[in-house]
Amino acid sequence: PCRAQPKKKKKVDVRKEQAQKERMKKKLKKLEKAAPELIPIEDFITPLKYSESNRVRSLPALSPEESERRVLLLKKWCLFKQKQDEAEKKAIKALVASQEEALQELRLESEDLYEAAIRRDEELFPFERDGPSYTPPLPGYDPPEGKCIDITKVYTQ
Amino acid sequence: DALLGCHRSYRSRPTHGIGKFKYLLPKEVPKKKKEKVQMKEIDAGTEYQYGDVNIQMTSYDLCLVEHFAQHVHRLCNRLSIRVNESYAMPTKTNEVLFMEERGSKMQLDAVLTTHQRVVQIRGLSSTFAPILLEIIQSNQPEGVHLLMKQHTEADFKSRLKARRELEELLAEMS
Repeated sequence: PCRAQPKKKKKVDVRKEQAQKERMKKKLKKLEKAAPELIPIEDFITPLKYSESNRVRSLPALSPEESERRVLLLKKWCLFKQKQDEAEKKAIKALVASQEEALQELRLESEDLYEAAIRRDEELFPFERDGPSYTPPLPGYDPPEGKCIDITKVYTQ
Repeated sequence: DALLGCHRSYRSRPTHGIGKFKYLLPKEVPKKKKEKVQMKEIDAGTEYQYGDVNIQMTSYDLCLVEHFAQHVHRLCNRLSIRVNESYAMPTKTNEVLFMEERGSKMQLDAVLTTHQRVVQIRGLSSTFAPILLEIIQSNQPEGVHLLMKQHTEADFKSRLKARRELEELLAEMS
């Protein structure tokens, strides 16, 4: 009966498998050497059509009254925004101060409660909130059927 | 041989430094090596401080989300909160199709782009966190979706390009 041939086949198979594994390991090493790249962000790349054209907008000349009105409006807006910002800073300081005071009072009351209050809140994160909307959704609106397809470009290294 | 082997410089002679020319050439800036994109260590934070926190702002409107991200960054600078990074996530494009009332065709309605900006903070104290949240919420513009969560490795890996060959090889190996 044939014995020699099957034995050879086994050896050759094992060697071939080992050689294959080594080749794969070498390939892996080579690929791992290359540093991973960040996906390029399309927002920061200006499309070519906006830089090639030579069209220039010609604005109409402003009358002196109009320009003065605009400057005064700008100054009023600056003042309004400054007041708003100052109010916000004042509010933050008041919040922090009142929080400090409350914690001091709590500390005087009991150390355990103070320690528990100082600890970080695990349920705070993750925190999600949708921004306010100009027009909230109508209650009885029946939207037409449709679907969304994701067509983002997939980058591979 | 003697001429080539001579190293004496004769500093008192007027011919000192004859043959020097490198000082006349413009200075070469040393080549910058490519900075490898490596993941920075994620801070877990102590019991009284949060570690790395990601503030993610998503919206369809690019200018709005960009300005809001800048506002949040400046706010953190003003409140002396350490900002690790402030980056943009890749934009997602969605095609919205809707079914016509009389007909079976899907009609193309619009192509929407979703933009996302991330501001990463470190060392937020547990007492100040709700105050910061309150301020950011009060300044939140319309249509901007806010999300605050801990920074994870998966978040970092979502910014990197997919390496198909590496993944295939790894799948084959294991």
